[in-house]
Amino acid sequence: MPMRLMDGSEAIVEAAIMAGLRFYAGYPMSPATELLEYMAEKLPHHDGVCINAATEIEGVNMALGAAAGGFRAASGSCGQGLALMQEAIAEAALNETPIVIFNMARNQQDYFQATRGGGWGDYRTITLAPKDLHEAVEHAQLAFHLADKYRVPVIFMGDNLLARTQMGTELPDLELEPLPEKDWQLDGTSGGSGMSRQIWTFGCGKTNNPGPGPSLHWERIATKFDAIAEVEARHEQGFVEDAETLVVAFGSGGKFVEHVVREMRADGHKVGYFRPITLWPFPGDALEAASHGCKRVLVFELNAGQMIDDVKLNVLDRKLVKAIGGVSFDESGLNLGPLMDAGVIRERIELAINGASK
Amino acid sequence: MELDLFISGIGGQGIQLVGKSLALAAIRDGRHVMLAGEYGGHMRGGSSVGTVVIGARPLKALPILPHAGSAIAMSHLFWARVGSRLRPGSLVLAEATIAADLPCMDKHILVTLPATAIATEQGSRMAAGMVMLGAYAALTGAVKIDSAVAAMAEQIPAYRRQHIDANERAIRAGAAAVTPLTYKVDFDAQEARVA
Repeated sequence: MPMRLMDGSEAIVEAAIMAGLRFYAGYPMSPATELLEYMAEKLPHHDGVCINAATEIEGVNMALGAAAGGFRAASGSCGQGLALMQEAIAEAALNETPIVIFNMARNQQDYFQATRGGGWGDYRTITLAPKDLHEAVEHAQLAFHLADKYRVPVIFMGDNLLARTQMGTELPDLELEPLPEKDWQLDGTSGGSGMSRQIWTFGCGKTNNPGPGPSLHWERIATKFDAIAEVEARHEQGFVEDAETLVVAFGSGGKFVEHVVREMRADGHKVGYFRPITLWPFPGDALEAASHGCKRVLVFELNAGQMIDDVKLNVLDRKLVKAIGGVSFDESGLNLGPLMDAGVIRERIELAINGASK
Repeated sequence: MELDLFISGIGGQGIQLVGKSLALAAIRDGRHVMLAGEYGGHMRGGSSVGTVVIGARPLKALPILPHAGSAIAMSHLFWARVGSRLRPGSLVLAEATIAADLPCMDKHILVTLPATAIATEQGSRMAAGMVMLGAYAALTGAVKIDSAVAAMAEQIPAYRRQHIDANERAIRAGAAAVTPLTYKVDFDAQEARVA
């Protein structure tokens, strides 16, 4: 297949449709608006439906409904829009309905929102944070696979650089393991099909087919998330073997840090990088191993300090962990600010190294 | 090597069209491409900057380039943020009427071109960016001239199709107006080479 020049939003939409996405409902919000526009343009050509909902709350609940019918369904916005969706995301986790939520974030202040969530219950959200368009088109497919595999909501965490940077891409079709039939899906049968389908958050069934009830149901959900955490953590690392300084960053920030670390290595610095690909499950064991023997672990994120909590939970001596990021927006408040810059990142890493040696 | 380019000018000069045409032309030539811009508000009269990276292999470039090795300057306004990011010895292709107002050109290879005058001769004053596109392609070998023409025509919206012929003439006139010897990109080389 020849390469096509696409921005990230278009490439993500194409990849999601390749993965079987058939329903999208969202509300426009920069920089997630293009995602909705491409969905509206492309989904109808693939037996799909795209709805410009009246609110984010409406959009995500429409997606929940479509997913309950067995269709691959998604909603999306930026983090501010996802704030409104928290109840539905928690519901999806507790009633085991697979949906994908695209967060084309304005910045990186969405880390807690994605990894802790603001809904009720013992739930987590698998969160994929690609570093660039090429990884994003894989994650757009993987997100739906993981959602169906575990019957959970999955968050795809992008940003405005990912949404708008255009690249030549071939849209690889990911080979993923086959999944079982959705025997739980609502099929539209009225008057009773004779089969109880468990789509209720409390886990209660019918008189003639009682469910586990809330306590057992929620315990089973929590156990499921523990099992996911055991096997689905993903990360990328480089130059960690003899690194004195390890720099941790996610998403676009991870790509920038990798670039800077390669430059610094070429100049003889003992620096390594570690990038969580899944923000949840956080690749804690891998980070513990990668940071072994390091003199310092630096966390670069464009917020006041969110992922740094997970880093401190997993580096054996948390006193080695230092923040080198910060809040950084452009004037509009809609875009990444001047901190997302290779030169600035290098200065901050060097300052942390030199400051510590004095 | 990866060829990296900033295109700098004023909103309304067709900066983004030049970048998009170059990127699409490179795709036609079978290259790997990245096209990035500034994502604040674009408006006529304000700053407009485009970034293009072209390579033979999957690109390593960041979506916000810390440095680049070449630039097209359509205006001296807003130049500072681009000029300060050029590596020493960069190719700067500048509109002749503003070239004198670009600072620090002694560090770089400056090629000036009366793009607006050439575009006017070709029947469309608005096609100065296309002249620069043709000239840049001819100077560097970044893309084939025919690919640049096809890429321009491919993306022009329906309501502007009457400009395609003038744009093509402008691209070819720009290519003819420069001597392709000062700076030539070798995509298969590991490092940048300036002849």
